Amino acid sequence: MSNQIFQAAIIASILASTIRLATPLLLAALGELVTERSGIMNLGIEGMMLLGAFTSFMITYVTGSLWLGVLAAIVTGGLMALLMAFMAITLKVEQIVTGMALNLLGAGISLFWLRLMTSTAKVDYLITDIFKPVQIPHLSSLPFVGEIFFSQRWLTYFAFFMVPVIWFFLYRTKYGLQIRSAGENPKAVDTKGVNVARLRYLATIFGGMMAGLAGSFLTLAASPRFVAGISGGRGWLAIVIVIAGNWLPWRITLAALIFAFLDAFQLHVQGVGVQIPYQILLALPYIFAILAMMGSRARSEAPSSLGVPYTRE
Amino acid sequence: MSQAQKTTLTRGWRIEPRQQLSRSVKFLSIVLAFLAAMLFSSLLLLTAGVNLIEAFGALLKGAFGSWRAFMDTLARASPLILTGLAAALAFRGKIWNIGGEGQLIGGAMAGFLAFTLFSGLPRPVFYLLVLLFCFLGGALLGVLSGWLKVRFNVDEIISTVMMNYIILYFLSFMLSAEGPWREPGSFYQQTMMVPAALRFPVLFPRSEVHLGFLVALISAITVKVMLDKTPLGYEIRALGFNPKALKFKGTNISRLIMVTLLLSGGLAGLAGAGELYGVQHRLVMDLSNGLGYAGIIVAMLAGLDPLGVVLAALLFGGLINGAYRLQTVTGVPSAFVDAIQAIVLLCVLASFVLSRFQIRRVVDVESDLSSGDHR
Repeated sequence: MSNQIFQAAIIASILASTIRLATPLLLAALGELVTERSGIMNLGIEGMMLLGAFTSFMITYVTGSLWLGVLAAIVTGGLMALLMAFMAITLKVEQIVTGMALNLLGAGISLFWLRLMTSTAKVDYLITDIFKPVQIPHLSSLPFVGEIFFSQRWLTYFAFFMVPVIWFFLYRTKYGLQIRSAGENPKAVDTKGVNVARLRYLATIFGGMMAGLAGSFLTLAASPRFVAGISGGRGWLAIVIVIAGNWLPWRITLAALIFAFLDAFQLHVQGVGVQIPYQILLALPYIFAILAMMGSRARSEAPSSLGVPYTRE
Repeated sequence: MSQAQKTTLTRGWRIEPRQQLSRSVKFLSIVLAFLAAMLFSSLLLLTAGVNLIEAFGALLKGAFGSWRAFMDTLARASPLILTGLAAALAFRGKIWNIGGEGQLIGGAMAGFLAFTLFSGLPRPVFYLLVLLFCFLGGALLGVLSGWLKVRFNVDEIISTVMMNYIILYFLSFMLSAEGPWREPGSFYQQTMMVPAALRFPVLFPRSEVHLGFLVALISAITVKVMLDKTPLGYEIRALGFNPKALKFKGTNISRLIMVTLLLSGGLAGLAGAGELYGVQHRLVMDLSNGLGYAGIIVAMLAGLDPLGVVLAALLFGGLINGAYRLQTVTGVPSAFVDAIQAIVLLCVLASFVLSRFQIRRVVDVESDLSSGDHR
């Protein structure tokens, strides 16, 4: 009997972690979805997430305000995406290489400023406040589901709230239709007198802001400190999630939850003391990412003009 | 009226695409890119609150300021030449191998395996086996990504990036307390030291320039000749600029993609040999520490030319070296180099595009004729 209660508690705990760990993946993937739907392949979200995580941490450390930290992360992601958009849309530089450059920029600048901060403060690491879970009244006290769904941090609620919002935007609004058309057939959009470049700029910047916000979750909700490379491939996983989710909001949510579950599983298996080398468990999401790519051979919803610069004639 | 309008429209400055890119224009654009990169880097240095002249002075002095500094720069350039070649070779064929980081580690791990197997053999044979193993270690990861691409349509960008993470966890396991390669009794995640007798010999007395530098130079020449003069090289280049024609010609594209990634991965693996036998002398978790990613920048800076890669790697080797001096002299963290690398890449990418255009003063022939009519 007590064993059953113990098992139920572990399952609830794993599922609660899954929802929590899905937050940065979902935020970044939804942003990348909008960007890719407009026809821009932004491979730089790992860097945007990383620098977003850093600036949110730094601003919170300096000002003591978590909300200013979140704002800083959004602005950082947006600015980096603006650079991405300028290179990809205005200068028409190869998008893959530009994205890589932004990843390196995020890694380089965050590491540089981190070392600068720690050497000035003369400490090994700095710690900030983090967001506390928000208990939804009544619902959070429900057995089992209360812990899983209704005792999360506001960023988690926001991430899941964004799923129907993005779906509605892409499929039920004029701008959503224009963005999807820009990714499918930019010439047709242009012929109708809509500015393709402007649409793509906006979609890319939105994606960057979401990636930055995802980064802020890592330093302001998941852990109270910033370590070099804290994003740990989550930006790349978000790109995988968009492909595995076939560029559809609901499927992307499901894919994000699966990746988050692997991460949560790994955390708890370690805690229980199962005899598997933990490094192999840690590698699971990345191994699964390759497997997911092998499985998702049907990419029916991939925007036809993804990664192709548009030139007006 | 319409004549007058035409004259004002056609006269003046115009931006137009260049017909051909001359070497001098390419060079000029790189110089401009560097000036721009220096400007942005200065802004970054200002956030550290240091004297800019002092900072750049230290950077330059640390990079090329003395014989000793120059030697260190050569040593640091060695792995960058190889990871740069790895990226350049693959990128020529528009195969986006982002896995230099993991392939370097895979190569080094295979190189350590060679140490556990062949350490009793005569030194020249041992070195050859080490290089072979390192090449194969990187090549194996590369070809795995190639296979995933041609067989399962897995994007090589995704698979190479994911393998960077996976191989690092694998190394972490091999070096963990339960792992087979952990140095007995050590507190750190590391293997035992390679004995001094088996390390790569030093090429110049009192320097750290090891055999790996020679390997890198030979590789650069080999890749250059291969790309420019052999059928395989032609096919790889054609894969980049006209894959349709290649398919029409009947080339086995799948095989070509796998071979390209095999060679590319192997080159990155060779970089692992130098880091293991020439620099660290043991496997450690931060053996690569960004060398694979820096190789991408080196390759782009070199315009994907193998010999250009050598020059670009020397420059970046100098930058890394200079950054250490920068840290000692001004206290600016040496991680500055990580930030500056990305800034250089962005500036170079932008300048390449801009160099494809020229600003020309145009006096339209037609309008000259029309003005002649008035006379």
